[in-house]
Amino acid sequence: MLGRLAAQRFREIRQVFRQIPLVSRSFSTALNYHLDTPDNNPDLPWEFTEANKVKVKEVLSHYPSNYKQSAVIPLLDLAQQQHGGWLTVSSMNEVARIIEVAPIRVYEVATFYSMFNRTKVGKYHLLVCGTTPCMLRGSRDIEDALLKHLGVKRNEVTKDGLFSVGEMECMGCCVNAPMITVADYSNGSEGYTYNYYEDVTPKRVVEIVEALRRGEKPPRGTQNPKRINSGPEGGNTTLLGEPKPPPCRDLDAC
Amino acid sequence: MGLGLLASRTLLRSGKIQPGNFTSLLRRCIVSTTELQNAEAAQAQAQPDTDLPKRSPVGGARVHFPNPEDAIEVFVDGYPVKIPKGMTVLQACEIAGVDIPRFCYHSRLSIAGNCRMCLVEVEKSPKPVASCAMPALPGMKIKTDTPIAKKAREGVMEFLLMNHPLDCPICDQGGECDLQDQSMAFGSDRGRFTETKRSVVDKNLGPLVKTVMTRCIQCTRCVRFATEIAGVQDLGMLGRGSGEEIGTYVERLMTSELSGNVIDICPVGALTSKPFAFKARNWELKGTETIDVTDAVGSNIRIDSRGPEVMRIVPRLNEDINEEWISDKTRFFYDGLKRQRLNDPMIRGPDGRFKAVSWRDALAVVAEVIHQVKPDEIVGVAGKLSDAESMMALKDFLNKMGSNNVWCEGNGPNPNADIRSGYIMNTSISGLEKADVFLLVGTQPRVEAAMVNARIRKTVRATQAKVGYVGPATDLNYDHEHLGTGPQILKEIAEGRHPFSSTLTNAKNPCIIVGAGVFERNDKDAIFSVVETIAGRAKVVRPDWNGLNVLLLNAAQAAALDLGLIPDSGKKIESSKFIYLMGADDVNLEKVPEDAFVVYQGHHGDRGVYRANVIFPASAFSEKEGTYVNTEGCVQTTVPAVPTVGDARDDWKIIRALSEVAGACLPYDSLSAIRSRMRTVAPNLLNIDERQPATFSYSLKPESHQETGTVPFGTVVENFYMTDSITRASKVMAQCRTLLLKI
Amino acid sequence: MGSVVRSALKAIKEKGLTSFVRELREEGYLSALLDGNLMQTKIHNIGATLVGVDKFGNKYYEKLGDTQYGRHRWVEYASKNRYNASQVPPEWHGWLHFVTDHTGDELLLLKPKRYGLEHKENLSGEGDQYIYHSKGHSLNPGQRDWTRYQPWQPTKA
Repeated sequence: MLGRLAAQRFREIRQVFRQIPLVSRSFSTALNYHLDTPDNNPDLPWEFTEANKVKVKEVLSHYPSNYKQSAVIPLLDLAQQQHGGWLTVSSMNEVARIIEVAPIRVYEVATFYSMFNRTKVGKYHLLVCGTTPCMLRGSRDIEDALLKHLGVKRNEVTKDGLFSVGEMECMGCCVNAPMITVADYSNGSEGYTYNYYEDVTPKRVVEIVEALRRGEKPPRGTQNPKRINSGPEGGNTTLLGEPKPPPCRDLDAC
Repeated sequence: MGLGLLASRTLLRSGKIQPGNFTSLLRRCIVSTTELQNAEAAQAQAQPDTDLPKRSPVGGARVHFPNPEDAIEVFVDGYPVKIPKGMTVLQACEIAGVDIPRFCYHSRLSIAGNCRMCLVEVEKSPKPVASCAMPALPGMKIKTDTPIAKKAREGVMEFLLMNHPLDCPICDQGGECDLQDQSMAFGSDRGRFTETKRSVVDKNLGPLVKTVMTRCIQCTRCVRFATEIAGVQDLGMLGRGSGEEIGTYVERLMTSELSGNVIDICPVGALTSKPFAFKARNWELKGTETIDVTDAVGSNIRIDSRGPEVMRIVPRLNEDINEEWISDKTRFFYDGLKRQRLNDPMIRGPDGRFKAVSWRDALAVVAEVIHQVKPDEIVGVAGKLSDAESMMALKDFLNKMGSNNVWCEGNGPNPNADIRSGYIMNTSISGLEKADVFLLVGTQPRVEAAMVNARIRKTVRATQAKVGYVGPATDLNYDHEHLGTGPQILKEIAEGRHPFSSTLTNAKNPCIIVGAGVFERNDKDAIFSVVETIAGRAKVVRPDWNGLNVLLLNAAQAAALDLGLIPDSGKKIESSKFIYLMGADDVNLEKVPEDAFVVYQGHHGDRGVYRANVIFPASAFSEKEGTYVNTEGCVQTTVPAVPTVGDARDDWKIIRALSEVAGACLPYDSLSAIRSRMRTVAPNLLNIDERQPATFSYSLKPESHQETGTVPFGTVVENFYMTDSITRASKVMAQCRTLLLKI
Repeated sequence: MGSVVRSALKAIKEKGLTSFVRELREEGYLSALLDGNLMQTKIHNIGATLVGVDKFGNKYYEKLGDTQYGRHRWVEYASKNRYNASQVPPEWHGWLHFVTDHTGDELLLLKPKRYGLEHKENLSGEGDQYIYHSKGHSLNPGQRDWTRYQPWQPTKA
């Protein structure tokens, strides 16, 4: 009887521990502090390309000269596009130098926004929406399919450096859930695209990945052939007739 | 039966009062509260809306109306309070005597409004408002003790405690922790959070600040302090949501001379003192309110001691000197008080070794030698940390022996003590905030007087005051114009050839700060006359504004000049036979002749000891009562916090004893007696905590015919952390030097 | 009363007077004459069930029925002249204090083998080695150095 008692207690304890998620979910691609690596340390020189320097000037012209620091997000974005989808410490330092603030102010911004990657990502960074509508429509399966197909973990780059998978919060395509985003960093900031692929299925995402691997550009938007943009499958089902005019007070009656 | 009762009975019997009034009289004998003393007031209190009890502001909060028309009236818990426009709800509550709990709000930092602890209810507002960020509006009805406010605080506290570790028993902040106190006062007795707590990697901020980042509640006080007051933009808020953490992102030490203050402003135990870690709990400590002597600012400090040990030093609020900050040197040098102490009188034997002897023997040896030398060959040097009493005694003693070669180190070969305005900071430290143009001449306030620098930085930040700097290239933590390195630039400004001279002339309250390093220069008089020419051109000295300042380096300097510790002429040390070093370690000991007899009286075995023939152990500033004058001429006293070590004695007592053995007995044998002697020399030294404004007049100043040299101004303080015998003995300061000073 | 005397006489007859007296002393009947607590326990024991005996020899009794609830479990300590509550081992503590109905013998089975320490009674005040002497106490030699500073050592210079 005592043995049974002990075993039951043991089971209870194990149950409690099981409820704690072993892997905490992180939406950012890196830690909140920097560790020096050969390809990411403050000693590496980093500069905007000549073409991008023009863009920097254009971006800065949007803001008053005494509020240069407002340009931090566009400049970080530009730096990220130029640097293959991620920001090194030296690129952030360069942005800080341009907008004349202390580097820590740029680090604060870069760590705050999860769309700034501070570790290496693939040339095609695939972002799976994980917010409620997409999750209800199976975004977990889509992520699993991607990870299984590419053989990587989340936020890990494939061996050939082509793909990485991350998670994103709602990207506003709930009507076409589930969806993924492909950030294409393969051609620098000139050929940078950020395309939504909606109504995807685990089978379809693998096809998209393979198409990207072949260098093709799969059509963006909804992947359901029966839908047009956000319209319902197989054509409209409501609001078929002419819209009625809004009810209005009869002005002549008074 | 109490005496009061007896008295009242007598009164009753004599028929002076009515028997019906007896109960109220009885109450008067027992209760001391004035409201309860007469029945009428008690009656009035019973009626609620006639008169509310007077409340006093929290923590001595002061109301200052810059513009009387701008006063508005708000109601805090129904109590009307008049405040100037632009004040926040929290400040209004403070003036009304209601203490609002807060974490992120700090009166000297910008408002962040991110801890939400200060939520109060405002009538007609749909939600509780964060009082620290809400400006008070006329007629606002603020309620701080309603169920909504209470529930809001409990909720916020529950959120804050969600990720806060329960390690109060091993936390150094325990006992003086805002979170601990406020969770007791405003928190709920249970939380609903059952998941695991977040943990954060600790950051390395250097040898002074210990971090336990898991305890952090993200109030961002440290970030704002570093950015706004210390002027080092190293700390930041990284990440978002529950992953948010304070850090430097890249590996980086906090290289500020004010970094220790983040320990004080941190409301939890995330940033604590590294040298103090696990040494003592704060309730074991005895606080002694005294002043700091490591620089000429005289920051107000509290020495926390346990038994015979100084455990830590924390700042004391003094709006006129150090506000509520102190420099790292002041805060962390205290371990030097426990190392390298001289505890026995010692005599150097014929073999060159020191031998501990009794006071009687040591004094007898010195008394014998001092009679063998000619009075002209006797020299006395007071050290950087000497108090006014001991300098008075030293001067009196050597005068009695027939010598007047007494000076204080740092004051240069021929100091000018005739005009008081010529060696103190006439603007006063708090007065610097009124200046709009600064000209720093041969001074790096950041290392020479960190608190003065903080004040200049505050002014520059608040009013965009311009700073011109003449001296070697240095890192001042505010925008400044580096005009040049040598005195030639001063001449250009004086003659109006330099663009900065027009800036100075156009300024409303120009301020010139001359470093005390200039005292040591040969062309000192010429530089001062050039500076005075500049001052004359720019109207720096007016009846309502005296902006011509000297920033002194050492705690003893101003008092020494007040007491007239001036040598007859320079170059005395080379021809001397008897040298009395009273804690003077920075005298050029190379120049001391081989056959000179050197007496070193001091508390640390520092440079001077190695040349000494006789050592008298003296007590350090934490162990004696002494008068110090800071760079603005403010007189302050130290208070003994701990007993002195070994056989050491107060400096003036040693000299008094020596004078008796030497047969020239000084006429004072108590602190009050020596102070009344000081009154005859410098009466201002007895007005504690008072600044006596110096009268200033050009005509008094002797005309100098000296030419300014071309030698550029040098760096006076090479090493901020080790400037005197105590700081040189400190291990923590040595660590700071190696880790933080970029050499 | 008569039965008590009769059984005592019977025991003397069986064991002899010396061993009977020794037994009486060991069982604490002699101490009970001076120690009211022990005497009360002994009287209480009459008619109670002996639930168990722990490894120190403390006997645990229980008496249900007419006993007042909360006084129905008690212990008779093994040591008859020097006893205190810390002699109860942890496995019996719960039973004795009505925390659990499992007796100490049952609970002993749950005791982890790896780190369970042997129970030791609290010996405070029982001799020099169990008394804490603060630093500087005359009975704590070697810790009397109150110097909190490091003096300067004269070196040859």
